[in-house]
Amino acid sequence: MGPVQSTQEIFEQLRGVLHELFEIDPAQVTLDAHLYNDLEIDSIDTIDLILRLKELTGRKIQPDQFRHVRTVGDAVNAIHALIQNKPAAA
Amino acid sequence: MNESGLVNRAWRVFATGFSFTCFGLGAVLLGFTVWPLLRLSSADRRVASARVQRAVSVSMRVFVWLMKSLGLLTYEVRGREKLAARGQFVVANHPTLIDVVFLVSFMPEVDCIVKQALWRNVFLRWPVYWAGYISNATGEGLIAACAAALAEGRSLMVFPEGTRTRPGEPLAFQRGAAQIALAAGRDLRPVTITCDPITLHKGNAWWRVPPRRPHWVIAVGDPFPSAGFLAAGEPQPLAARHLTQALVRWFDVSITQQLGKMRTETRPGGVNARDDSL
Repeated sequence: MGPVQSTQEIFEQLRGVLHELFEIDPAQVTLDAHLYNDLEIDSIDTIDLILRLKELTGRKIQPDQFRHVRTVGDAVNAIHALIQNKPAAA
Repeated sequence: MNESGLVNRAWRVFATGFSFTCFGLGAVLLGFTVWPLLRLSSADRRVASARVQRAVSVSMRVFVWLMKSLGLLTYEVRGREKLAARGQFVVANHPTLIDVVFLVSFMPEVDCIVKQALWRNVFLRWPVYWAGYISNATGEGLIAACAAALAEGRSLMVFPEGTRTRPGEPLAFQRGAAQIALAAGRDLRPVTITCDPITLHKGNAWWRVPPRRPHWVIAVGDPFPSAGFLAAGEPQPLAARHLTQALVRWFDVSITQQLGKMRTETRPGGVNARDDSL
C-alpha cells in the first residue's frame, strides 16, 4: 500500500485480502459488517489477518492497535491511521 | 406408559441424581487428596500431570461403571484399540454431557481442551486443574501449545463444536481443531458419538430422563488426513476452513449412519419396528 491511500482504496484492498485469506464473498464486506458475527473471522484468523496487513503496509502492527476493531470500517480506520503515521521505530 | 415404565423412569431419575452427586463429591474429594499428591509426586510437570491424567481416567471408568450398573445406560465402543497409540489427535462430536467421561475413560493419558466456563465449575475445576488440561481461553498461544503437546508425543482431545450439539440444528465446528492439525502436521482421529434416545444434551436438564434407557455408540474412525489441505498452497486460514468443512461433512454422514443403524438394530422387532414415542 502506498503512503497516500484513501480509505476507499484501503477498503477495496481489505476486501481483496479477506477474499484471499478467508474466501469471504466481497459482496458481504461492507463498512458496517461485523468481523466476527457477520464474516466469521475468529481470533486465530485475526492473527493471520494482521500478519498479512503487516506485509502489505510494511508497518509494524501491534495487536493492541486492533484491539478495538469490531467492524470492517473500524479495520479500515485503524489501517488508515497506521499509514498516516510515520513507521514506528524498529 | 405402563406402571413398570413409570417405576423404571423414576428409578433412573433418582439414580442419575445419585450418580452425579457421586461424581461431584468424588471430584472434590479426589481434588483435595489423590490428584494433588500425584501432581506433587514428580518435579517434572509433564510426568506429574500424566500421573494425574491416568488417575482421572480410572475415576471416569468407575463413574461409567456406576452409571451402567445402576441401569442408567448401555454403551459399546468400536475400534477402541485405535486409541491406544500415543500422540493422537482425537476429535469427536459432542452430543451429550458425558462424552468426555467415556473418552477419558478409554484413554489413560490425554490432554483435553476445556472450555473456560468449566474452570469456574465448582466440581469440574479440580480434575481440569490437576490433570493439566488446556483452557480454550488462552487465545493466541492455544494452537501453538496444542501443536507442541502433539509434537511431544502426547495425545490431545478436542470437541470442535466447542460445546454440546444443539439437537435439530446443523452441525457446526469451530476451526481450532483444523488449525491445530495443520500447525502440527497431524492427521485427525475422528470419533463419532451417538446416543439414542438422546439424553443429557444441550438445554436438557439431567432429571428429564428419556423414555427408554439410552444407549451410546462410540466409534473410533480411521485417520482423517490433513496434509492435502496445505499442499494445495492455500494460506493456512483458508486451508483450516476447507479442512473444517470436510470434517463437518464427514461427521454429518458418520453420525447419520450410526444413528440410523442404532435405531433399527436396538428396537425390538428390528428393521421394521416403528417407534411411536418419537
